[in-house]
Amino acid sequence: MRHLVQAIALACCSVLATAGSSAMAQETVRIGWLSSLTGPLSSAAIAENQGVVFAVDEINKAGGILGRKVELLTRDTAGDPVKAVNLAQQLVFADKAQFIIGPVNSGEALATVPSLARAGIPNIIIGSLDELTNPAKYPLAFRTINTNTQWIAAANAYAIDVLKRRKVAIIGDTSGYGTASAKAAAALLAKAGITPVYSVLVDPNKTDLTDEMTKARAAGADVVMPWSAATGLCARLLNTRGDMGWDVPIVGHPSVMALPLKALLNKPSYWGNTFAAGYVSTTYRDGKLPERTQALMDAVKPALGGEIGFTFWWVALGYDSMKLVVYAATKADSLDPQKIKDALEHTSDYAGVYGTYSWSPTEHNGFPDSGMAMDSADTFNEGSYQAAPR
Amino acid sequence: MLSVIVSGLAVGAVYVITALIYNLMYSTSKVLSVTTGHICMLGGVFGAWFTTVLGWPVLPALLGAVAIGTLFGVVTELVAVRRVLARSDEHLWLLSTLALATMTQQAVGLWWGTEPRRFPRVIPQDFSHGAADQKFWLPIGVMVVAALGLELFYRRTMWGKLFQATSEDAFAARARGISTDRVRMMSYAISGALGGLGGFAAGQLTFAYFALGLTLTLNGFIAIAVGGLGSSVGALVGGLALGLLSAFATYLFGGEFQQTIAVGLLMLVLLIRPEGLFGARGVRAV
Repeated sequence: MRHLVQAIALACCSVLATAGSSAMAQETVRIGWLSSLTGPLSSAAIAENQGVVFAVDEINKAGGILGRKVELLTRDTAGDPVKAVNLAQQLVFADKAQFIIGPVNSGEALATVPSLARAGIPNIIIGSLDELTNPAKYPLAFRTINTNTQWIAAANAYAIDVLKRRKVAIIGDTSGYGTASAKAAAALLAKAGITPVYSVLVDPNKTDLTDEMTKARAAGADVVMPWSAATGLCARLLNTRGDMGWDVPIVGHPSVMALPLKALLNKPSYWGNTFAAGYVSTTYRDGKLPERTQALMDAVKPALGGEIGFTFWWVALGYDSMKLVVYAATKADSLDPQKIKDALEHTSDYAGVYGTYSWSPTEHNGFPDSGMAMDSADTFNEGSYQAAPR
Repeated sequence: MLSVIVSGLAVGAVYVITALIYNLMYSTSKVLSVTTGHICMLGGVFGAWFTTVLGWPVLPALLGAVAIGTLFGVVTELVAVRRVLARSDEHLWLLSTLALATMTQQAVGLWWGTEPRRFPRVIPQDFSHGAADQKFWLPIGVMVVAALGLELFYRRTMWGKLFQATSEDAFAARARGISTDRVRMMSYAISGALGGLGGFAAGQLTFAYFALGLTLTLNGFIAIAVGGLGSSVGALVGGLALGLLSAFATYLFGGEFQQTIAVGLLMLVLLIRPEGLFGARGVRAV
């Protein structure tokens, strides 16, 4: 009898404890943030994290989401897809996250997006690989960042239509991203009736690119288009061009204008005549940035020590992705995933900092082509760039 | 074509240096430490830190990088090798050295950053020399000096003979009064110094990059497996062959075949000569 009483008492305690923790969970909106804050791909993630954290502070000061404070559950994936999947599962099943933002890198997102779709959790995608969104397969995945195709199309258009170059050399790296991008770039060029005069994939850690650049020049290339996210490889490409004394324009991936690259150049002048796909939101026009970008920059700057030493669009993207959760929940007046989906699928011209977004039932890529810009790489100024000459 | 050869030789020279470090460590401990490439990485990162951040002149920075490498070699021996060898005959050193290598890489990534960073010019020279640039010739020069120096060390010095005695039969060496623990510690210290020097010399080629270690560990292992474990000539031939093959594979077929060629070479040699091109064939007394 005594054992029975003890068992009942224990059961009551368990029920009360569970109810208590549920009540605690109900007090906040739990948002999972999968970010590679350490590891080989951390630069962009650290900047994005600044935007996410700043947005959460702003949201909570303004009363939270539907009257509930936001609880940010940051998980460091270290750039490892396996870790990313495990952390995504942990966020969904153990931490009971109601939204997931990330992961930051496409390689990790390829692994997490299907599992989050199965779990039925709304997922804000900030990886650029085109395959990451598919309204039929991943109905709750919505992208804020541009697609890889948008980067490539912007760079191709600049090389062909503005610089009037037709003899293209494509240099990609052997990573999954580099290989896919180089192929996509060649396919898009083919649609414009251009066959690259030279195309090659190189190891991202290759120590010297003299052969590749010599071959590109021998093939008659009048523009070199690198498709690699590896800063070291991009720096070696620019150094080789400079050391060769070849004045061919380099047009391609945003990595060619990343600030860490500057320190790897043999001479600062090697960064000239280099252009990359960027954004209207972080491109100076007549010496000024768009109003929303400037406002965010002014607000964030004190927290960054008064100086912005990385590309600011990452901060804006992180900020927008978090703010989008507020927008969707407010519009849906609910945290129910299906209602969130409906709200986002009927969103047109939602004004963020990084871009102005629209999603529909058939299109889960929200960033518009009109938000893309081409920038001059060597004009870095407080995280933004001057527009490439036209 | 000249640039393919020179860049292949330069990269191969870094593999040779890594392979020589493998040999040195293996000779006294029979351990193939996963930290081997990380020693070179530390030489490059600390060399860049001393010069570009602390503003040290080249020579003190070089000595500093060598000192850091030596210290890391000693730490490897103390933390990941000595205690494991004392407690087990199994190959648990693989796990302990892998753990130390991983922790080291993560720590450097957190401190130094995960983007490659600039390594300064060691000798005043502008950037217009093409294949004669110091970034190619410095690692090649260090490779030659290291290979010759180690041969002289083994043949002409008492410590070198102690290394060989320990390598031949550690039990017999101990019975003859040789402190094999001290010999092993010395071999790891010399390995660390060589790695620090090699990493510093290759810094302009590789940049100061936290993730370089594992690449060198893998390619250095391929070089030593192809050339033959325990042979300096094997390390030279294996490392240079790997560097040149990788360079020519990329030149002729594209970078996507570079690793395939490297691992293919390893498989081919292991099939034909499992002991490596210059390795001693294992003979078991019956």
